Amino acid sequence: MDPVLIKLALGGIAFLVCIGLLFGIGLALAAQKFAVEANPKVEEVLEVLAGAQ
Amino acid sequence: MSTLMKRSILLSIWLVSIFLASLPVCGHAAENSFAKKTDFKDNRTIVIEFAGAVDEEWATSPANFKVNEKQNPDVLLPVEKVELSPDKKTVLIRFGEDIDLRAAHVVSMTPVSSEGKNMGPAILDVKKSYFGYLFSILIGAMLINNYVFTKYLGLCVFIGTSRKKDTAVGMGITFTIVMVVSAMISWFLYQYVLKPYRLDYLQVVVFIGLVSLTVQAVDTVLRKVNPALFKAFGVYLVLVIANCVIIAVPLTLASNEYNAFESFMLALGAGGGFLLALFLMSASRERLELANVPPTFRGLPIAFVATGLFALAFMGFSGMAIF
Repeated sequence: MDPVLIKLALGGIAFLVCIGLLFGIGLALAAQKFAVEANPKVEEVLEVLAGAQ
Repeated sequence: MSTLMKRSILLSIWLVSIFLASLPVCGHAAENSFAKKTDFKDNRTIVIEFAGAVDEEWATSPANFKVNEKQNPDVLLPVEKVELSPDKKTVLIRFGEDIDLRAAHVVSMTPVSSEGKNMGPAILDVKKSYFGYLFSILIGAMLINNYVFTKYLGLCVFIGTSRKKDTAVGMGITFTIVMVVSAMISWFLYQYVLKPYRLDYLQVVVFIGLVSLTVQAVDTVLRKVNPALFKAFGVYLVLVIANCVIIAVPLTLASNEYNAFESFMLALGAGGGFLLALFLMSASRERLELANVPPTFRGLPIAFVATGLFALAFMGFSGMAIF
């Protein structure tokens, strides 16, 4: 296959991995900064309920 | 928290003022200091103002002026005749046929002769004022090519959140914010990463990723900053991720090769247009609740009928040219 095409495909994969990592880290930091303290009892009650819907 | 908010507001004010201050720099650039101003007078005339008087025999010979559209340098436009104003400082270049005022034109002149002195050759850009152009992009995206009423994009959110006025306005503002932020990031990525490395075949994937990033960020921030609004949006905020209006804006600006200011204006116009559409629709739907609608049409069907009527009304804007 044409090496230019292989280069393009690899470049695309590398680029997507890079922006994926970048966005992921950014979002994780934002989530930490703007964390909302949720009541843990809500989760527990939801666990106990049947939860078909 | 509040200091952070204040700081970010200050930062955004700074950014906007830098943006506005740098606008005039992007206006017309004359490459000869002797030529002061260039402009279109009408469909067939270009006006060039000089700093001093120019010689009549130089100025009135059409062979000294070559005019072309900036995008097609090979196609010279037919210069019919050139006129000189009585004070000899203004030259009118007249054309035999109409020229496209929306396109930027280039006038190249043989060395300008002023009172026997040679002032050097000149290559001048002629275009409509940049502010007017930006404004026409804004109005074009908002009214003439309204994304909801003329392109039928984003209908699920449009129908879903237009039941109450305050939800509709909040949703419109969220849309505008998400649109502007994602459009600016996608403009940057497209111009500086995707295009130079020939990765533009990935643009749809990258733009979807960008939009979901922005939506997730707005979701996280809004949950903390304004829980009431967050609750009012409910599931629709997540729907923004897969919304076609939001994807349409980066794709439009990529295919039109817009620069940063133009993309900003396009995103602002598209968001404002969506806000306008949501507001109009919610106002009329609140009114429809009280109307005596036949039972078959109650609810969604009459909303679609009203949307169709709005679309008809917005057709009145089509084909309009501003500036």
